[in-house]
Amino acid sequence: MNLLDILIAIPFIGFAAVMLLPKSNPGAAKMFALVVSLAVFLGSLALIGPVIASKGDFQFVTDVSWIQAPGLLAGEGIKYHTGMDGISLWLVLLSTFLTPIAMLISWKSVTDRPKEFFAFLLLLEFGLIGVFVALDLFLFYVFWEICLVPMYFLIGIWGHDRRIYAAVKFFLYTMAGSVLMLVAILYLNFKTGSFDYPVILNLLSSGKVPLTHLEQLLLFLAFFFAFAIKVPLFPLHTWLPDAHVEAPTAGSVMLASVMLKMGTYGLVRFCLPLFPNASRENAGWIAALAIVGIIYGALVALVQPNMKKLVAYSSVSHLGFVVLGVFSFTQMGLDGAVYQMLNHGISTGALFILVGFLYERRHSLEISAYGGVATAAPWLATVFLITTLASIGLPTLNNFVGEFLVLQGVAEVNFQWTVFAAVGVILSACYMLWMYQRAFFGRMPGQAAVASHSHSQGPAGHTHAHGEDAHSHSHDHPHDHDHGHKHDHEHHHEDEHGHWHMPDLSLREWAAILPLLVLMVWMGMGSQSFLPSIGVATARTLQQNKSSIEYQVKIPAVIPQQAAPVAEAVNAR
Amino acid sequence: MHQLWLIPVFPLAGFAINGLIGRKSSKNVVNAIAVGSVLLSFLWVLKALSAMGLWGAGMPEEAHVERYFTWIQSGNLNIGFDLAVDRLSAVMLLVVTGIGLLIHIYATGYMAHEGGYYRFFAYLNLFMFFMLILVLAANYLILFIGWEGVGLCSYLLIGFYFDKKFAGDAGKKAFIVNRVGDFGYSLAMFLLVINFGSLDFGKVFEAAKAMPVDQGAGIFTAICLLFFVGAAGKSAQIPLYVWLPDAMAGPTPVSALIHAATMVTAGIYMIARSSALFVHAPIAMDVVAIVGLATAVMSATIGLVQNDIKKVYAYSTVSQLGYMFLALGSGAFAAGMFHVVTHAFFKALLFLGAGSVIHAVGGEQDLRKMGGLRTKIPITFLTIICAALAISGVPFTSGAASKDEILVAAYHHAPWMYWVGVVTAGMTAFYVFRSVFMAFFGKYRGSAHPHESPLVMTGPLMILAVLSLAGGFIPLPHFLEPMFPKLAEEAPEKWLEYTAVASGLIGISLAYLFYVASPKLADAASKNFNGLHKLLYHKYYVDEAYDATVVEPIVQGSRSVLWKGFDSGLIDGTVNGIGYRAMNIGGALRRLQSGNIRSYAGWVVLGSIAVILAMGLTGSIR
Amino acid sequence: MPVNYIPTGTEYFRFLPEIILTIVATVVMMLEPVIGQRNRSFLPNLSMAGLFAALWAAVVAYSNPGPAFHDMLLIDGFATFFRVLVIVVGILVVFASGQYLRREKAEAGEYHALLLFSIVGQCILAGANELMMVFIGIEISSIASYILAGYLRDDKRNNESAIKYFLLGSFATAFLLYGVAWIYGLTGSTNLTEIRRILNTREIAPSLTLVGTSAALMFVGFAFKVSAAPFQVWAPDVYQGAPVPVSAFMSAGPKAAAFAVFLRVYMTAFEPISDRWAPIIWISALLTMIVGNFAAIRQNNIKRMLAYSSIAHAGYVMVAVTAHSSIGTAAAMFYLASYAFMNVGAFAVVTHFARQGEQYLKIDEMAGLAKRQPATAALLTVFLLSLIGVPLTGGFFGKFYVFKAALDAHLVWLTVLGLLNSAVAAFYYLRIIVVMYMHEPGESTESLQPLGAGLKAAIWISAVATLILGIFPSDVLNFAGKSAGDMMK
Repeated sequence: MNLLDILIAIPFIGFAAVMLLPKSNPGAAKMFALVVSLAVFLGSLALIGPVIASKGDFQFVTDVSWIQAPGLLAGEGIKYHTGMDGISLWLVLLSTFLTPIAMLISWKSVTDRPKEFFAFLLLLEFGLIGVFVALDLFLFYVFWEICLVPMYFLIGIWGHDRRIYAAVKFFLYTMAGSVLMLVAILYLNFKTGSFDYPVILNLLSSGKVPLTHLEQLLLFLAFFFAFAIKVPLFPLHTWLPDAHVEAPTAGSVMLASVMLKMGTYGLVRFCLPLFPNASRENAGWIAALAIVGIIYGALVALVQPNMKKLVAYSSVSHLGFVVLGVFSFTQMGLDGAVYQMLNHGISTGALFILVGFLYERRHSLEISAYGGVATAAPWLATVFLITTLASIGLPTLNNFVGEFLVLQGVAEVNFQWTVFAAVGVILSACYMLWMYQRAFFGRMPGQAAVASHSHSQGPAGHTHAHGEDAHSHSHDHPHDHDHGHKHDHEHHHEDEHGHWHMPDLSLREWAAILPLLVLMVWMGMGSQSFLPSIGVATARTLQQNKSSIEYQVKIPAVIPQQAAPVAEAVNAR
Repeated sequence: MHQLWLIPVFPLAGFAINGLIGRKSSKNVVNAIAVGSVLLSFLWVLKALSAMGLWGAGMPEEAHVERYFTWIQSGNLNIGFDLAVDRLSAVMLLVVTGIGLLIHIYATGYMAHEGGYYRFFAYLNLFMFFMLILVLAANYLILFIGWEGVGLCSYLLIGFYFDKKFAGDAGKKAFIVNRVGDFGYSLAMFLLVINFGSLDFGKVFEAAKAMPVDQGAGIFTAICLLFFVGAAGKSAQIPLYVWLPDAMAGPTPVSALIHAATMVTAGIYMIARSSALFVHAPIAMDVVAIVGLATAVMSATIGLVQNDIKKVYAYSTVSQLGYMFLALGSGAFAAGMFHVVTHAFFKALLFLGAGSVIHAVGGEQDLRKMGGLRTKIPITFLTIICAALAISGVPFTSGAASKDEILVAAYHHAPWMYWVGVVTAGMTAFYVFRSVFMAFFGKYRGSAHPHESPLVMTGPLMILAVLSLAGGFIPLPHFLEPMFPKLAEEAPEKWLEYTAVASGLIGISLAYLFYVASPKLADAASKNFNGLHKLLYHKYYVDEAYDATVVEPIVQGSRSVLWKGFDSGLIDGTVNGIGYRAMNIGGALRRLQSGNIRSYAGWVVLGSIAVILAMGLTGSIR
Repeated sequence: MPVNYIPTGTEYFRFLPEIILTIVATVVMMLEPVIGQRNRSFLPNLSMAGLFAALWAAVVAYSNPGPAFHDMLLIDGFATFFRVLVIVVGILVVFASGQYLRREKAEAGEYHALLLFSIVGQCILAGANELMMVFIGIEISSIASYILAGYLRDDKRNNESAIKYFLLGSFATAFLLYGVAWIYGLTGSTNLTEIRRILNTREIAPSLTLVGTSAALMFVGFAFKVSAAPFQVWAPDVYQGAPVPVSAFMSAGPKAAAFAVFLRVYMTAFEPISDRWAPIIWISALLTMIVGNFAAIRQNNIKRMLAYSSIAHAGYVMVAVTAHSSIGTAAAMFYLASYAFMNVGAFAVVTHFARQGEQYLKIDEMAGLAKRQPATAALLTVFLLSLIGVPLTGGFFGKFYVFKAALDAHLVWLTVLGLLNSAVAAFYYLRIIVVMYMHEPGESTESLQPLGAGLKAAIWISAVATLILGIFPSDVLNFAGKSAGDMMK
């Protein structure tokens, strides 16, 4: 019973406890849930040290038998086998870090059955942590499916108008993928007589259990399909916009920031090492899909009238980078991909939170319903701008590092890919800034537009205050509170247009968003706090992916069908 | 160690303080912080440079690098957060902090009555920070931080009056067009890493110098062209110059600092910095020269007919930047940088002067509504004259010195470029003096009560005026020569310079003829060449063309084809279709359930027969 | 069997559960008139006691397994597994029935007596090692359940359901009997072990065509009882028509018993000609899954929907049968066990919700149940998730195990198609969750009374069992695996 096990257990116990709390006093339930999640987060910080110190092998390993049925389940049956390396570590922290934040932002906005809402968040945390540390394929599948349930309820119960359609779509889409993964897991068990990931990996890569070329291809596809849906990889992404738009803010945050990473994590953890040849042979079209996703997602995001939809499509675009990086099979590409998972978690999570804040203020997700927010709520505008810049990959902020590494890694394999993928970077600026401009610049809709300024006049109208000119001034810059004689204009102005009242960030909101901002800068400038531990793990993954190929090349006799394609795959490197 | 990091950190601190508390604090506090921080970094620059012997022993030719921490480390790629100073960056440092300081001071007067005062200076300080990072960078990625950062600040400052739609649009346009440039820049970086395994200036250039020119020309050409794409975005060259004129939507000090003196020259700086690569790529050099020249001509022609005083200077900036690229392309890197400096002087002066004029006439920017101001605002008038003389290349002014060097270099590169350049010089002189004459001569056509600006504004003007006149005597080229690869030195033929000067003077006198001596002529001319005039006045309809060919197709296509058509239509259609298909199957199956026993019995019988036949007649014992 | 054959004590001991149940059932019937309206609750309690006694007997009987009555019965692990299962189902149903009967003013001893008789039949089926026994068992259990299906005499739906069930049932049983006759004629034996021996020995093996045909005839009978395609047509109407607790019972107990004997006959007697029946069952399994799942999608009546779902689940078990391996058998056993619990549980909730005269059976009428009775909704959710096959529920592990067996038997395509089917199934189960949790409560939900004690017990027991089977299935699995192995030896 090591720290990790405790950290997995607590949320589940918390879930049960919250469920059993009386619904008469939701406040207590909320507070309890928040405390639990905070405790988990603080606890999870203690995971960092040992993992960073390690040489890339799994830490906090628990390996106990769970389900044994000699003669029926071959070998040691199904085990509760967990452990974490540099890749799992940060994703686990991402989950434990975002859960309390998700609770904070739902504090006021969730009024219907808040007890259940917070309980489900804990259950989700339980599932997410499990997914990222499971080292037994069966266990992995179990956690994978468990994550589905709370998210389904979060969307379906607390979502917006079309929530039910979205929830069911989400559930079935994912289900369709995961059943195929289940088949693949069963088949691997049938071949290797084990569910234990390291064991299977060893058997496969050492060639003790040779897979025919076809077998490996089909197994790879089965896993890949399940993961690709989750990522989501174009063209399997259409559940995402619906789910995001309909989900409550906290749901969108957990969904975008962590759940999508289940897919990319699966690719890195299972697809590459288990099926080296298949993954390399198929890298071509997968990368193509990823690139299409990058550009396609960006273009569609460009024209979304709904903020959440826009962010959702931007996720499709961003996750394309991750997949691309994974299938570049280069150190930088993988590092970048994993790092980009975290970055996307932070910045997109923040975006959804901020959109949520806007929604709480004006109860609309339509961009057109906003405008001039920067005038009314400057701090909100500033925070939103920083987040926007992070997500369009401004250097010194987090996303840049990830995207740079991914593109650099890909460039070493195939420069054309980089060229196309880099187009996405241009487009991201277009859609994000356009949204920002429409929502935060200009004026609140319905507000009397001041005499429209022809271009040539330029800022002329502002340069000086001459007589009545001053009025138009306070009009143009409700900003300057630092000018005594203009305050009266200011107020007079507010009376004129009621829309102006939009509260700026509250303390609770600051508490939720500030940690994310800090991380954006930290991960942007201090990537060394994260990359080394990731690098060790990805290096190992890459090495497994390579070594098994080399092995099978050495013994074509064992697997004649494989020899040829393997050779190609190797030459292709 | 000279603690270079302090240089950018001062303005950063200024930004932080003003950004956090400026809203609540008085203007004097804001001024103190904003100007003070820039002053500090200016002083620190002087200290550091003199410690390196800028005045005394003369600076060493190799760079002084300071390594602080590893920024990104992955695989065998290691990018440190390193700052460096060599002669090239020394020049830029002085220009940026020096001119920056002047403009900050000027702005305290200019923006005195503006809203969002603290915001303005916070952004301005942030810009200084990024610009200094850009100049001090010791590798391409750090440079990229500054590169993107200044872009961001220009976005923020252009959109400073964000409640005006056009301001927001202009800001967005600037950022996005720059993104296109950055696209090229980043691709170039990737190629560098692939081929040199590093982004450090030192390492890369060593490796490049080691190679003989012919070898790997292809890859060099690719890298250099991509870098030039970046430069074209940042320094407003064809085809990416379109954002700069719109950028005039920002407050005038911003136009002076960012869009004339410093940021827009980042492209030239970056290419000069990369000279070691460009000498390996003659094709790229030619492209740079030609694009530069073309830009110079094109924007000069547009400048001829604009009536918004800031627009005139904006196009003149584009044109001058073209000159600088012409210099780089012709291999005269030092000359290019020299022009960067002198241009910083006189163009900043022109803009600040224009600001002072606008300020005087109550916000009017239309030249046609000015006139006769020389008596009303004499200081502004005199200083602007100095700048105008300098840009027109009148002998012994700073502009003459740098421009002549460029033209000479161009001549040795390709004579026809020289001639085109000369003509352009003439046009430059014409439109600059056109603006001067329209604004200051004749009689006042406006309605406001012009008045001279306060000292905080005129002071900087005067300093800049001195620099514009005398700046040419700074031995900059000599100072920079060692930084750049030598190219074959022909004996400078005097007549080249004379022709250049002559064309400038002709331009001036034409302007005088048209706008002072007999204003009728101007109208007549625009009448006779109506079509041409329209074309120029509407800037060759380039913006319209971009909208029609790039922006609209993308937006409409994404909306109707990709989103509505493909995403909602095809994919989701299929997905939901599967659902409905299942439903229908369900319905069909349900209909089998008639509830009628006979039909059920029938099913049982049929089924049984089938099963019996199957089991009875197939298979064998094992 | 010699005329003067006298069973030993051990044999009676092994037969004890059936004996107990028979006696209790008879007593219940006879006491019915004696004790008037006064303490009606006595009879249910009595039958409950009988069931517990039988359960005890069934368990201890395993302490000394072996044949009984001249190999007519074989009380091995396999038999014990199913005897325990059907008896437990009986217990749950009795729990669930009390409130229902009271509601419908139909508390009569005969209900419980019939229930017990039917269970006796099922116990016999579980242990039958002899085709005559198979027939007797099926008849006992069926006839009882025919009557149960029409238990509420003056309810049209009940009568229709009973009639259909009876006519078609006897029709199918005729096929079965005919098959038995054939095989006896061909092999001169009705003992499964014997038949297998004969079929396995070349020289005396009869014409395979005829053997196959008889196997087919019996398959018709079994397939009908387990409601496997194409003989599933009766199930929806009957389940929908019958009283809810009876539907719960029929979908769990008789089905399990039928599968038990189905497995035993095909895994022992007809094992030698598996290559003849395996393909048929392959097809039948697939059809069953498809028909069940897809037809269920469009149902608005929850009872009917559950009926179709029970067809679909029969399909999953058929997949395990197709594997015809000890693993497959074990998987089928485990699946039937977990299915019994989740299904009885679900039906129990329906019983609770339907109310007087089963007036609330529309899925939409459960709107907002989670708001009014969160616990009930949560429990039903557990059952539904288990029916979908979400991890940590018995349903998931059963499914997982079935398909593992199928894969081990190289039935890759059946596995893939089956699992895709289960994805389809998710759709209609989710609908109920959607309605319960995501719709606002309607009149039908508002007027709902709290759970009665009996139903509560039934539901909670089923839920706990479902979860235990999902989280700690090892013991059950081991037992199933072991006994399956023995049975197929």
